[in-house]
Amino acid sequence: MAWGVIRSAALRWVLLGAAAVVMLVFLAAQRQTTEVSYGDSPTTASLRSSGEPDGVTVPSVEEMTALVAANPVVRLPGAIATWDEDRVRAAIGDADVRILVAPPGLDEEERDRVSEVDDATVRVIGTDVSGGLYGAVPDRLSGWRTQFATGDVTDLIVTIVAALRDEPSPDDVDPVRWREPTAAELAAVADDLRATRVHVAPGATLDRTPPDTAAFEDGLYAAFPRQPVDAAIPNYGPALAALFPDRPIIVMYGDWIEYHGPHQAEFAEIAGASFYAQFGDRLSRSAYPQDNVLHAYLSRVTEIRYAGIFDRALPYVPWDPLRVALPALPWIFAACVAGFLALSARELRPRPPRRRTTPAQLAGLAALAVEMSLLTDRAGDAPLTRGIAQLAAARKALSDGLPESHVRELLEDASRELDDAARSLPYEGLRPDDYLAERLA
Amino acid sequence: MSLSGLVWVVGGAALVATGFLAAYLPARRRRARERAVAWSTARAAIDRAGVSRDAAQARVEEAERLLARAELIAADRGGVDAARAATDYARTADQLWRGA
Repeated sequence: MAWGVIRSAALRWVLLGAAAVVMLVFLAAQRQTTEVSYGDSPTTASLRSSGEPDGVTVPSVEEMTALVAANPVVRLPGAIATWDEDRVRAAIGDADVRILVAPPGLDEEERDRVSEVDDATVRVIGTDVSGGLYGAVPDRLSGWRTQFATGDVTDLIVTIVAALRDEPSPDDVDPVRWREPTAAELAAVADDLRATRVHVAPGATLDRTPPDTAAFEDGLYAAFPRQPVDAAIPNYGPALAALFPDRPIIVMYGDWIEYHGPHQAEFAEIAGASFYAQFGDRLSRSAYPQDNVLHAYLSRVTEIRYAGIFDRALPYVPWDPLRVALPALPWIFAACVAGFLALSARELRPRPPRRRTTPAQLAGLAALAVEMSLLTDRAGDAPLTRGIAQLAAARKALSDGLPESHVRELLEDASRELDDAARSLPYEGLRPDDYLAERLA
Repeated sequence: MSLSGLVWVVGGAALVATGFLAAYLPARRRRARERAVAWSTARAAIDRAGVSRDAAQARVEEAERLLARAELIAADRGGVDAARAATDYARTADQLWRGA
């Protein structure tokens, strides 16, 4: 019983504390800001420049000028750009056009050196093509694909040459030919993807651990090196999409990134176009590892998804325990309040009186008073009467439910008076202590 | 206002009300009991003083005045302090009569 009382009292305060905590959590969750944003992306697409190979360098301006004077086309060591010589020759015609091709990944100073070679009509740094006052960049995805997947810059050179000769730009020609990957090629890639979600072909510079990104859940990543443009390129994207339906698949050829999988039709072009429109210029000059390129691309995808363009549901709303618990909080709070109320009501109810010894004492003293009233003389009259008055007060206090201690006090006074009265009598055994002890025995 | 909003408001009000009652009700009960005890003591003392007066050999003016004042206070039914004052007067009167 006592244990139950203690436990229910403790439980009552525990419930009150829980209600307070729940209310605080609820209030703390009511954050409101004046900021209105359609996209709250946790990332910002940016191209990390770490990991670029050092030591890429070009000869001095004089040396390069001499080289350009000696040859119409100068390829410096490490140059990656290629082009269709027949088309370029046809575009040049009989003009004196000299082409200087430098490797990607040059720093600012070395790029300046390349542009100081005045005799070079067309300068190619990496796959960045410029000439005179003109620069050429692709204006559609297929152009970027050709530029970044193969390093072919035919269209860009032809455009520059036409601009320099004040001729209209010829139509672009997409030189890339695709073929189905063979069963063996596909199996090697698929095995890697099943095992680690990442396939890194020989020559590719992607990390072998899947990137940690909010862009895709469970994405598959296959990276291949830059492909030669004269051979047909195995088209892994559609083949892998057929093999892994409903999973996001990223295929990289060099700096070119393709998306395959769910929502490809609405999504892949937006992501690709916005990514290469922003970063194409830098990518064409630099020699970043594929890791950096993929990181920037995934950040861009994250931004697009968070922006909620096309009303597409976010596939990756992060799991937030507070958000999950919030609808339940009022009811947890209500339950705590109800429990607290119930226990408090029990606590506030008057407790049943405990077992009392005073009624027996009162009865004994009253019997003694009656006995003494027959024997008393005049000297004992007043104490006896006072004792009886005191007994009457004790009886009334008892019947009024006053506290035990008070009743006992009154009885002690009464017993003192009766003791006075008994001492004035010549009889033994009438003193209250003796009398009560005898009665109880 | 939504249902859950109502829960917070009603629940909060219920908590405040319960807290108030939890503090107020036992205090009120205790005060009432103290008062009843004090008056019970006072009445017992007055009764005893009355018996002593009847038994006394001589009249004691001051004791009678004190007892009259105690009875007057008791007739007005004040609080704990009034009861204590009445008790003190009655006890003093009782002592005076017993000494007489």
